[in-house]
Amino acid sequence: MKVLSAAFRSSWLVVLLLLCWETLSRLRVLDPLFFPAPTTLLAAFGALVGSGEAGRQVMHTLQRTAVGFGAGALFGIAASAVLAVSVTLRKASEPIISALYSTPRLTLLPMVMLLLGVNNTSRILLVALGAALLMMIQISDAIRGVNRDYVDMAVNYGAGPLAVIRQVYLPACLPQLFTGLRLAFSRALVLTISVELLNCDDGLGSMIWNAWQTFAIEKLYLSVALSGALGLTFQWLFLRLERTMTPWQERAA
Amino acid sequence: MSSSSIRCRALGVTYASERAGPLRALRNIDFQANRGEFVSVIGPSGCGKTTLLHVLAGLLPPNEGTFEMAGGNGKNPAASLVFQENSLFPWMTVIRNAAFGLEMQGVGKVEREIRASEMLARFGLAGRERDYPRQLSTGMKQRVAVIRAFLSGTGILLMDEPFAALDRQTRMLAQQELIGLWESERKTVVFVTHDVDEALVLSDRVVVLSASPGTVVADYRVPAERPRGLFCEPDDELYELKRRILASLGLTAGLTAYTCAS
Repeated sequence: MKVLSAAFRSSWLVVLLLLCWETLSRLRVLDPLFFPAPTTLLAAFGALVGSGEAGRQVMHTLQRTAVGFGAGALFGIAASAVLAVSVTLRKASEPIISALYSTPRLTLLPMVMLLLGVNNTSRILLVALGAALLMMIQISDAIRGVNRDYVDMAVNYGAGPLAVIRQVYLPACLPQLFTGLRLAFSRALVLTISVELLNCDDGLGSMIWNAWQTFAIEKLYLSVALSGALGLTFQWLFLRLERTMTPWQERAA
Repeated sequence: MSSSSIRCRALGVTYASERAGPLRALRNIDFQANRGEFVSVIGPSGCGKTTLLHVLAGLLPPNEGTFEMAGGNGKNPAASLVFQENSLFPWMTVIRNAAFGLEMQGVGKVEREIRASEMLARFGLAGRERDYPRQLSTGMKQRVAVIRAFLSGTGILLMDEPFAALDRQTRMLAQQELIGLWESERKTVVFVTHDVDEALVLSDRVVVLSASPGTVVADYRVPAERPRGLFCEPDDELYELKRRILASLGLTAGLTAYTCAS
């Protein structure tokens, strides 16, 4: 009963909006050519997914996102650890990082392509850049924010430098690390799809663009829905991961 | 064997501050604590009490003077600190927090958990071993911090206003527990506080520091027998001592009203 009422509380508006859309489309208040009714779309989705094309495009997008995110996040974490240790390097790299962070990443695509060519490596590099910058900002902030008391306490109880890192810095940064990963993944996904929209012949982004160009309206809706679903799924996964990995954290209900 | 546990000679600490120039926190501190002695350090806020504890804990090298601490070697520290706030690692369970000193000394997991859970049970924390600090009250957290300090096996405890954030009733309970533990284990305790009553209830000696830069201005022996009550009982000798401590702190006006109310 409780589960049901919770489900109702979080979904009644969605259901209501879908019902409105269905009705308006069926009554032709909304042009069904541009806004097909949700039930019509669902039937069309079934066929498109069944052909395997949708799955292939999702895999292309997911691959780019995952490789870019993985490489970028790893680099970002490693780089912020180095910057935490070396003041000289931190001071010198600060203007570069903030300049890159403030430039919309997508605008850098032509530059990256000049450098590496019009290929997948360039696309993935841009995605990685997005993830890396976000991780660097998050982790550097987390490391700076570690309470001095905890470090003192560990040292006082006999912890050497390695133990201080393992027992204090690592766990203290973990919550922000996971927040960073979650945000970096969603940014990587957005960048991947944007790059595919601009310059690519596979992936969800190119599927959206092709559907638009050929006026394949059901395909257009499907690719947008899939992009959203992908984002949502991974947000949820990363949240779950964060909860299991940082059980000491207080959480709002 | 010398009976002194801590000995500071002409200790001085100056912080290098880029903006305001050097800041002298402690000057010419001569201070000594005997083995198994409970010494309170009292002084106006900002007088360098915490700095003194950081020096004794080995976290801050002094700029002047020397200090010796009995016990401890390269691997095992001589003294354990108990903070007022952030006294436990939020990411460790209660039992891991309590056993942290043992863990750092390389005591095996089974042994340290047995020893920690015994202590936790003794202080009414049985069943809370796997909780995280956020699930504990402030009083319980400080209890775990004290347990950790006692378990770590060092001969000296350095406590930085550990009970200052507790309400009066919880604080009295915590004081009672601390004294009970201290009487059974007899470690040297340096207890920083701003509460004269607390110092009188707990300690063998009360050392008074001056305002910044802090230096020792008075050193009183507390004559009361142990075990003591938890109240400042109407004892002429203690009352006189309290008056003198407050006078050393520069607090004389309105004394009668204050003393009896507290």
